[in-house]
Amino acid sequence: MSEMILDQASEADLKSLVEERFGHEPQWSLARRQSAAEAVLNLDWPRLERTPLKKRKLDQLHLFKAPPTPSRTAAAAPEGWAEIWLDNNQVVAVSMPEALSLQGVRLESLTAALDDPDVEKHLGRLLGQDADKIAALSGALWQGGVFLRVPARIREVVRVSIRSHATAEAGALFAKNLIICGAESHVTVTQRLATDEGVSKTLLSENTEIIVEDGGRVDFGAIQQCAPTVEGFIHRAGALGHDAVLNWSIGEFGAGLVVSDHVSHLDQPGAQTSSTTVFFGAGTQHQDYSAKSYHHAPHTTSNMVARGVMKNKARSVFTGLTQIEAGAKGSDGRQKEQTLMLSDDARADAIPSLIIDERDVYAAHAASAGPVDRAAVFYLTSRGLSEPEAERIIVHGFLAPVIDAIALPELRDEVWDAVERKIRA
Amino acid sequence: MSTPVLEISDLHMRIEEKQILKGLTLTIKGGEIHAVMGPNGTGKTSLAQCLMGHPRYQITGGSVRLDGEDMLTMKPDERARHGLFLAMQYPSEISGVTTANFLRAAINARREDGTSISLKAFRDQLDEVMGFLDMDPKFANRYLNEGFSGGEKKRNEILQMLMLKPRIAILDEIDSGLDIDAIKVVSKGVNSLKGPDFGSLIITHYQRILDYVHPDFVHIMVDGTIVKSGGPELALELDKKGYEWVRTELAQSTHQA
Ligand SMILES: Nc1ncnc2c1ncn2[C@@H]1O[C@H](COP(=O)(O)OP(=O)(O)OP(=O)(O)O)[C@@H](O)[C@H]1O
Ligand SMILES: [Mg+2]
Repeated sequence: MSEMILDQASEADLKSLVEERFGHEPQWSLARRQSAAEAVLNLDWPRLERTPLKKRKLDQLHLFKAPPTPSRTAAAAPEGWAEIWLDNNQVVAVSMPEALSLQGVRLESLTAALDDPDVEKHLGRLLGQDADKIAALSGALWQGGVFLRVPARIREVVRVSIRSHATAEAGALFAKNLIICGAESHVTVTQRLATDEGVSKTLLSENTEIIVEDGGRVDFGAIQQCAPTVEGFIHRAGALGHDAVLNWSIGEFGAGLVVSDHVSHLDQPGAQTSSTTVFFGAGTQHQDYSAKSYHHAPHTTSNMVARGVMKNKARSVFTGLTQIEAGAKGSDGRQKEQTLMLSDDARADAIPSLIIDERDVYAAHAASAGPVDRAAVFYLTSRGLSEPEAERIIVHGFLAPVIDAIALPELRDEVWDAVERKIRA
Repeated sequence: MSTPVLEISDLHMRIEEKQILKGLTLTIKGGEIHAVMGPNGTGKTSLAQCLMGHPRYQITGGSVRLDGEDMLTMKPDERARHGLFLAMQYPSEISGVTTANFLRAAINARREDGTSISLKAFRDQLDEVMGFLDMDPKFANRYLNEGFSGGEKKRNEILQMLMLKPRIAILDEIDSGLDIDAIKVVSKGVNSLKGPDFGSLIITHYQRILDYVHPDFVHIMVDGTIVKSGGPELALELDKKGYEWVRTELAQSTHQA
């Protein structure tokens, strides 16, 4: 059973596939996979109000094909950085500055780290396997992925780069990543998701869970530039301890369909999260994003910002949720979403929401979506700039405040490059 | 470069269902300064924007030629490259591009040979013009018009005009909202371009600016056409008597005809 189409598979097929592929794993992991396999056929595809999945024929995918073996070779990591390269979720190379490994920083394939008690404890805690059919498929069939653990109280900032790449024959990929930042340590992670240019129709499922222990700080940046044949389901969630900080910087550019969310659980007093999402849709791309901040504890703060540009017939939805629970006194939750449309056929919806169950808090949201200012285009063209150049300048001006605020310089430059490419495309 | 000639002839134009220009004829040549005055809503800004090629306007008759070339088929940027310039009544605020970077891009876009102006040459020129216009050099590094006061925006329009060196410049209420010192500066800018290679159309409500930029011709525009043309004395007369005078005179002449 090296290859099978999902809608022809029985529960028994799925379970024996799991046994065949993952039978060697520790009992706890195998048991979870089997229970996910049992759930696959009973669960529905994700139900998204503005993103119908029916006509995408996801169940026609060759889900069980073993991912092709890696073919790339890794380039040298930037000075001082730890870096991990993955092809079709399989680790190709890991490089780690000696200073970091001496202090106990671990960066490796998640499947290779299943013996670690932290993995058993945290994996699946924030992103369960019973939400929908993709979650269950991922629970049963995930492989590879990244395990990063930074011990408590590392003095210097630990810099980690994850380069994830899918090749033409991938079909369906299910990845899980687990990041644990120990107390009072500071980690920056940049994740690059890309595929070969001519990749065939691929279901890409990425689940990343981030645990930030007391006083720790994680700056997580990601840029997604997959081919248009990719249908991506990218989920990220973080749990924050006392005074912990989690900053998200997400740049979304590729994939024909992308359903992407990131969630922060502010579990303990003093926890803080910020999130910046920059997205740019062109052609017939469909992008469904959401960002959520859950204030479970007093004196927690969240600030969510999203800016997107839509051109051609692209379509986006951005749903923001800030939820402040009863008892989370003195919390502060904000969100702001803005979309710029470059054509009449483009469409963008911004749906902010606040759920506040505590009186003593500050919460605010703002959203806008509108076409490019034609008077501004006229103004610029009247000075001799071509219309595309005028639009480029306007898009730049629109995105600059959020992109320039990205704390990770190398990611910031790549986001700008991606924007330039999308403008010209 | 040859003396420019902008010929507007029997121009009819409308926005949506509203006819704005109803057969407007006017020729502006290099060396000439024309002033157009007229009551609010009479179509002056519409004329200016339509000459520059704003896509909103629908031409229903007539022609606009620069040196004999049909302008109406050209996009705004092509018109600009042919030497047309419009200082706008309400300049847009453009975030994300500094005035300096924008001007450099605009100068490069207008160069026919595809070469770029060197940074040094550009900077020198910019410094000189800003000095000439009494502008604080820091405006060069601010985003184009963003947060500029009304007067600062107008001065910025003149800065752009001097940097881009158009052959025909249309100035739409460049004097509105300016204090007297600013009017002098703006006028100084316009006067510095005066010569056989430069013609200008100044749209204004006030005689004041015409004390500094002396028009060769003054036209009164009412309801989408030029109803009366004359020399500088016409502006003075208008200043004294107001538009009612023109309307009455107009009514009489139609009556007589
Ligand atoms: N987009 C539009 N849609 C409909 N009508 C318009 C539009 N733009 C301008 N108009 C109308 O066209 C007429 C001419 O306006 P225009 O701005 O050209 O006048 P103006 O002579 O420049 O006036 P002012 O002296 O107040 O600047 C006005 O009645 C105005 O309301
Ligand atoms: Mg006007």
